[in-house]
Amino acid sequence: MFSDIEIGVFIDELEEKIQVINDGLLALERDEGNPDIIQEIFRAAHTVKGSSGIMGYENMASLTHEMENLFDKIRHGEIHVTSDMINVLFEALDTLKALKDEVTGEGPAVDTTAVVDKIRSFVQGDPVVTPEQPKPVVVQPAGAAIDWIEIGDVEENVIREAELRGFQAYRIAVDIAQDCQMKNVRAFLIFETLQQVGEIIKSSPAAEDIQEGKYDTGFQLVLITKEDTDRIKNLVITISEVTDARVEPIVLPSQEAAETPAKVKEASAARAETREVKNGTAETAEKKAVKTVRVDVNKLDNLMNLVGELVIDRTRLNRFAEIFESRFGSDDLVEAVNEISNHLGQVTGDLQEQIMKARMLPVAQLFNRFPRMVRDTAQKLGKEIDFVVEGKETELDRNVIEVIGDPLIHLIRNAIDHGIETPQERVAAGKSPTGTLLLKASYAESHIVITVQDDGRGMDVNKIKNKAVELGFMDREAVDRLSDREALNLIFRPGFSTKNNEVSDLSGRGVGMDVVNTAIEQINGTVELDTKLGSGTRFTIRLPLTLAIIRALMITLGNQVYAFPLTNVSETIRITDQDIRRVGNNEVIVVRDRILPLVRLGRLFNCPDYQEDTKMFVVIIGSGEKRVAVVVDKLLGEQEIVIKSLGDYLGQVPGLSGACILGDGKVALIVDVRGLVKNLAVEEATYAAG
Amino acid sequence: MTSINQTLQEEQVVVFQLMEQVYGIDINSVFEIIRMESITKLPRTPDFVEGVINLRGRIIPVIDLGLRFGLGQSERTQASRIIIVEVSGQKIGMIVDSVQEVLRIPTASIEPPPPVVNGVDATYLRGIAILEDKLVILLDQDKILYEKEKELLQQANIGGDQAWEV
Repeated sequence: MFSDIEIGVFIDELEEKIQVINDGLLALERDEGNPDIIQEIFRAAHTVKGSSGIMGYENMASLTHEMENLFDKIRHGEIHVTSDMINVLFEALDTLKALKDEVTGEGPAVDTTAVVDKIRSFVQGDPVVTPEQPKPVVVQPAGAAIDWIEIGDVEENVIREAELRGFQAYRIAVDIAQDCQMKNVRAFLIFETLQQVGEIIKSSPAAEDIQEGKYDTGFQLVLITKEDTDRIKNLVITISEVTDARVEPIVLPSQEAAETPAKVKEASAARAETREVKNGTAETAEKKAVKTVRVDVNKLDNLMNLVGELVIDRTRLNRFAEIFESRFGSDDLVEAVNEISNHLGQVTGDLQEQIMKARMLPVAQLFNRFPRMVRDTAQKLGKEIDFVVEGKETELDRNVIEVIGDPLIHLIRNAIDHGIETPQERVAAGKSPTGTLLLKASYAESHIVITVQDDGRGMDVNKIKNKAVELGFMDREAVDRLSDREALNLIFRPGFSTKNNEVSDLSGRGVGMDVVNTAIEQINGTVELDTKLGSGTRFTIRLPLTLAIIRALMITLGNQVYAFPLTNVSETIRITDQDIRRVGNNEVIVVRDRILPLVRLGRLFNCPDYQEDTKMFVVIIGSGEKRVAVVVDKLLGEQEIVIKSLGDYLGQVPGLSGACILGDGKVALIVDVRGLVKNLAVEEATYAAG
Repeated sequence: MTSINQTLQEEQVVVFQLMEQVYGIDINSVFEIIRMESITKLPRTPDFVEGVINLRGRIIPVIDLGLRFGLGQSERTQASRIIIVEVSGQKIGMIVDSVQEVLRIPTASIEPPPPVVNGVDATYLRGIAILEDKLVILLDQDKILYEKEKELLQQANIGGDQAWEV
């Protein structure tokens, strides 16, 4: 039996080699005879064959053995690379990924015979290419066939939400002894035990039935927790009369996984190229083996908290030094204390930064998934695409990377599907037949910027306006008043689509631009859209480097400090009573021809020491294209804050999204801008009508 | 259900005072006891939620135990304390009038609680320890939090739209 560490090392190496083969195949598609690439893939397959053989993963070993054989023949010029062969090799690569998931327990058992036969047929020189390429067949391991509990849409949303907060969902099948006398008590104990470590979100049969003992010889649960498989299993198995418990992590299909392998278009001229533009150093850095240690993210969070305490102590030391100085005047001792305090400040600042960096991963993790997707999508739609990737070495917090995966997939698919025209159309429009799709990551101040840009047909503002009227979002008059930018932002509204024909199976999928927008806003990011009819579209996504730290505008209500995430603050203004109008029961103000609902935060939050004044500071906050004006007492300025949750006990406090700790150790509350805006921003049209 | 405590000879409880009454809470669930400090109020939360404090970099919710039990709010004095309890991984502060001592209570002296003790619903109680010189009401910290959590969640659920009415 191999230890977890050995398996971990093996998986790391396997992932690396899968990436090598993936990049190699993409390169080979463009340059079919390149001996260096062939050699590289051969070596990668050979390495995996060896290590998987040692580990005893026979399916993996036999699959990579066939791949190695094939590339050996290609190396020696006995066989030539064809596009059919490349398609089969991609299928083999998918199977290899599925085998990896099988090893890590993230996926079911995989049958490799079909794909091995296909490769073998190339090796023997009689390619059998089936037009339909079935997905790797899923085989349940013998003796463990479980008809697992279904995960519905509702649960899926809950799970995705929980995953963002670092939880993992598991399916648990519990078997109770046949002769169990008190099934209800057993069930109660199991529920009770699991609720200590997490939350049960679904069960089969229904929870009430289980708790009343109305089940056969077992039942299934879906649990959201931070514990791992073994621990959950142990918790359940130690309850008496439980004969068996099987625990399996739930891996939600990313949108990509739902994709069936693309059909091969015979003799299609479609192809997608991927080019990478790197900084000179990144190349060598990638080649160097990185020495790594796996660390639980919670440990890093704890370190972060400790640093937070240091910062507070440093503030106290500072104050102490001031008192010292006022009492004894300035002398060497006072100087020394000041010096210590300053140095401590520097060190804690650096320490904070280093720990933050420890949570960061190169965005390559995510970007490496795209070339293949672009290739398949382009092939399917008969488009020629030159896919350019820049800035893969840019680093982002791992949680951010997890969240932006799906929105990026959507934007890229959209660009290929709606943005870039077919080669014929492009030539007719006087462009080169091959469209360019750029995916770029870069740093900008304390943000990271990800750009998805195509040189396709662009978006027609008038078309969008017409569609908005047609869908009943706004009346013609309101639409005509919109600026081009405001009109473009309509596409981020739920239910908006300008595609008149039936939805192609690529985009759509129930993920509209509104979902892209929501996902990005969730992590305090913003998304902007620029487009020019006939020459292309660019989406610019700005993200904080980390979820834990944001820039915020600090304000006061009475003597309590509140923070507004700066990404949601569009401006601050001063108004007087004279500026406030009333529409029905609501107060509004007009800012540059826009009517904004006015919210007196002190009133909303029932602040005991809140005073109304004739002159007021107003913070204009927004989410999506909605804006709300919020009256506050004082503006304190901007500051970087570390976001902390209010904890499960309080749950969701209306109007707040979390808290942070100020330099003096006091707690400031973070305003839930999205919630406020969602609940208080009234469509402008209703005012216009009123 | 046999609780593990009944198999032991005695248990240790932290004894504190609230509204002239003596209560006890299992020492194993007490994380620490701190003096009153400035508590950040939270808008739109039930009245027994006093607010949050910063406990060495962690945000900890604090509840007023008197209000929690529906006994009203007691005066804050020099002796007032916040008992930080940890229940299923969550730390929560409870404001009490004073903390007196740690007592060893023989398990045999613990009686099941009557339905209501001094206005406190038995749901929150584990029992009553009758000692030579005093009577200690033993709290069930799991219940205090769990029941509250349910209430809070209910409020959050019905609060969907109402919570926003100004």
